Amino acid sequence: MADVARLNLTERGAEARLRSLMEDLIEAYAGNRPGYHLSLAVWFGKSVSSDLQHLLLLYSGPRLNHFVPDTVPLLWKTGSQGPPLVEVSATSVEHFSDLLASGANEVARFFEAPEILHFDKAFLSETILKTLNIVTEPPGLIKGWYVDADQAKTKTVKELLSSWGDSRPQVGLVKTWESPDSENCRGLIHFETNQRWVPLSLVGLRNFTFFNDLQAGKPGFLLFRGGSFYQVLKFEEKTAPGYSNLVLQRSSDDRYPEVYLRSVYPSEKPAL
Amino acid sequence: MTDTLKSICDQCTHLRNPHFDFIPSNSTRHREILVRDLQELLSAAAAENEKTVVILAGSILEGVLYSLIQGQSGYISQRRGTFEFNPDHSLQNYLSIFNKWLNHLTPSVVLPDSVVYYRDLVHINHEINSPHGVCAGASREMLRILDALLGGLSELTIPLSPGTSPGT
Repeated sequence: MADVARLNLTERGAEARLRSLMEDLIEAYAGNRPGYHLSLAVWFGKSVSSDLQHLLLLYSGPRLNHFVPDTVPLLWKTGSQGPPLVEVSATSVEHFSDLLASGANEVARFFEAPEILHFDKAFLSETILKTLNIVTEPPGLIKGWYVDADQAKTKTVKELLSSWGDSRPQVGLVKTWESPDSENCRGLIHFETNQRWVPLSLVGLRNFTFFNDLQAGKPGFLLFRGGSFYQVLKFEEKTAPGYSNLVLQRSSDDRYPEVYLRSVYPSEKPAL
Repeated sequence: MTDTLKSICDQCTHLRNPHFDFIPSNSTRHREILVRDLQELLSAAAAENEKTVVILAGSILEGVLYSLIQGQSGYISQRRGTFEFNPDHSLQNYLSIFNKWLNHLTPSVVLPDSVVYYRDLVHINHEINSPHGVCAGASREMLRILDALLGGLSELTIPLSPGTSPGT
């Protein structure tokens, strides 16, 4: 067993080094096409021991209607021209989306042992994200914003939505319980880091105004896309191994701060 | 009414008494710049200048990550396979590198993507496309996040007792 473990470690080390060299190459490609934004890089047909690696690059910007091929030495930084080599296939996000939609055989090879080395979800379609299994948020996540009591007193939910609705969401919520009349619910507060929505720890909560306002006895509210409007009642930290099924990143000790919310949706009247 | 910026700073011990032991000893210029900027940040907070606090806190956050990642290039290289520090990277790049390769050393530190969004409020088009009053919440969060980061890094540099290893 010890020998097998050593072999695995050596292979893993080689793969990690190969991955880092591929990432460095991607970084170089990210900056060398003015007017284009590198939105996806997939290492496909992965074979660590091979002298030929394969990379798919998708760019946002002006449409390309074909794949632009390129072959580059992986050790380009050292000036080496020899193997291992990387065969690069680059095209636009739009063109790739069209090929996916038409079910073209041309794209099948990109899904052989693929590993996503870079993505920018803001520039990728749902189809591409789903096809490549790029999961950035847990099922049932709703996204929204913190509204303090001063804003809630003076604006209707409609006005709040029109003010916040187009801006980047600040918080996410995955409900863990909801009363039959939908008046009360509990859930796990999420935040976005490295493009993924993950649950906040109790320590992490302390950075956020909605938590500090509540600690100071000040009422605070969460407004979610679609118009749900809740008052934050309290946070309670729970040991709940089952919650790991609800989140993308499990807590190491299975402890999660759960928020208690009460619906205060006042239709078109002022929020308070 | 949420906390004033001054009252938040009063609670942020690491902003007021920062330890820059994570900066390599030969990087004195890095340290001087961060010390100066932190002093200016505290002045801006005392004056309740929300926009200034957002932008300056973002700049300091970038400076801290820049200095940390540069100083830990060898460690990242060991973990990653290879690593070369790029001084021209963006805050988003430094944030990703920290979250991927260094965050396990300071598990209490949470760096959300929103800090990049807030720092980018320096560009008028970003603020135009944000809700009115965005700087009020952003300034408070940036102060607390920066304080937590400096706190986490100050613990990172505490010498380990003989017989213990990182992560224990």
